[in-house]
Amino acid sequence: MSRGWIAIAKKTARSFGSWIVVLIISFPLFWMVVTALKPRVELLQIPPTIFPRHPTLGHFADLLLRTPFPVYFLNSTFVALGTTVVVLVVGTLGAHSLARFRYPGREWMARAVLFTYLLPHVVIVIPLYLLVAKLGIINTPFSLIFTYTAFALPFGLWLLRSFMSAIPPDLESAALVDGASRMEAFFDIILPLALPGILTTALFTFILAWNEYLYALVMVSKDLNKTLPVGVISLLTTGFDVDWSLLMAASVLMSLPLVILFGVLQKHLTRGFGTGGVKG
Amino acid sequence: MRLATKNSVLGIGLFLPALAFFLVLLAYPLAAAILLSFNNVDTLTLSSRYVGLANYWDVFADPEFLSALVNNFIYAVGTLTLQVVIGVAIALLLHREFYFRSLARGLILFPYMLSTVVAVLVWRWLFNDLYGFLNFALLGLGVVDKPVDWLGRMPNAFVSVIFVSTWKFFPFVVIAVLARLQSIPDYLYEAAIMDGASKWALFWDVTLPQLRSVLSVVILLRVIWDFKEFDMIYLLTGGGPGHGTETLPLMLYKLAFPLSQMGKASAIGVFMLVIMLLVIVPYFRFTDVGGEERTR
Repeated sequence: MSRGWIAIAKKTARSFGSWIVVLIISFPLFWMVVTALKPRVELLQIPPTIFPRHPTLGHFADLLLRTPFPVYFLNSTFVALGTTVVVLVVGTLGAHSLARFRYPGREWMARAVLFTYLLPHVVIVIPLYLLVAKLGIINTPFSLIFTYTAFALPFGLWLLRSFMSAIPPDLESAALVDGASRMEAFFDIILPLALPGILTTALFTFILAWNEYLYALVMVSKDLNKTLPVGVISLLTTGFDVDWSLLMAASVLMSLPLVILFGVLQKHLTRGFGTGGVKG
Repeated sequence: MRLATKNSVLGIGLFLPALAFFLVLLAYPLAAAILLSFNNVDTLTLSSRYVGLANYWDVFADPEFLSALVNNFIYAVGTLTLQVVIGVAIALLLHREFYFRSLARGLILFPYMLSTVVAVLVWRWLFNDLYGFLNFALLGLGVVDKPVDWLGRMPNAFVSVIFVSTWKFFPFVVIAVLARLQSIPDYLYEAAIMDGASKWALFWDVTLPQLRSVLSVVILLRVIWDFKEFDMIYLLTGGGPGHGTETLPLMLYKLAFPLSQMGKASAIGVFMLVIMLLVIVPYFRFTDVGGEERTR
């Protein structure tokens, strides 16, 4: 009995210690949220209030009604979803090919995939910029969808291939014996079983496309086609009446989709990043 | 039925879309970057003229290049060291049982998901010299006696850049190490405790050796990613004050876009690539071994 109480007391003490560390590290996230909720007078108060005394959603309203933020948000949504769809289609087909078929150059391709995963993208920013300019899709969301697809594919192919290779070939063979075609077996057997890998790839791709800054900066200069990262930074320098509360409100809103995705799929995400990061 | 040997035409067909993306958007640009570095490009007409190694000599002779290279190494080594030390410590912390642990894990991992833009905005507000929380807290605690200019002077700007990068990127180390910690068998600890090992000894003699392989891979990946980091530094300081925090990716960007010196910028890119290869090649050797272990 008393041993049980000691264990609980120990765990409580440990919880306090651990949570103090966790809260210190996540303080900037907390500060972002409370700043977004503070009215302007409170923002410039010394000492600062930890919790807003008169919380307001006014900055969110300003952001949505008086700045192009909603346009940036829609652009980012289109680019991130577009990239995710293309990566999933191209990636699942390609990974299935790498996992299940044998042809000359296959191993070589698999290595090239890993190499491009590690290729620093800043090195090819100039040729890609020139290429996109030549194709006439500069300043369009498609320029970003194409480049982000190329950036996310290596990780996607690698991860999906490892998931698909782990599916027992017998399941597929059985379907073929029952008269299914190779592609029917792919849709009915492989895709459902590879779902965790597909979700992880989708999340990784979405986050990459949602957050990417350098290529969005270089390829899209027309204000109404900008994605969130470049658009929000441009709020800093344009003529709008911008204060830190507004920028924190923008930060909160642009992080919200990631919070939701992360919350819903945390398990897959953790596992996926583990697999992708550690096992290449 | 042998699946693998059949239908190799279908197999190649399924890979073609991916191959097209690779060739057009990765392989061609890579080749073009190397070619560009030997040319002078006129950005108006996009015509280029072969100049041999002239771009490279120009770049190497530029004192800005040497300082960017040195900054690049200091930044990468500095932030990586902190990421690994803090990452391992936090992973150990999150590995122990405590109340609401999964919420704590979510909070710790979250900065890694965030856009660098968000991280930079939040920290620039915390660093604000008049109303920033950081100066307020440090003044209140008596650590400093007047507000610190975190981003506008050296060496503060460099320290701030390393610090914020660490905050943003250490969760990657946590994720990888935490996954490994969960798979260390208990009997290793039990045996060590039977032998009378202290907690400190348990960490050095049991935990750390088990983490060796995961840490090697994490460090190699993070070296590559930290070395090429652009967003964080560009958005926090723009490379300033002066060229104080300018690294090679920033120099490349500034030469290529505001200044339109595509050839010279490409030479920097190729130089970076060569340095990367020195890191990537051992990575390949390493994962080859890991790959065999994995399939067994």
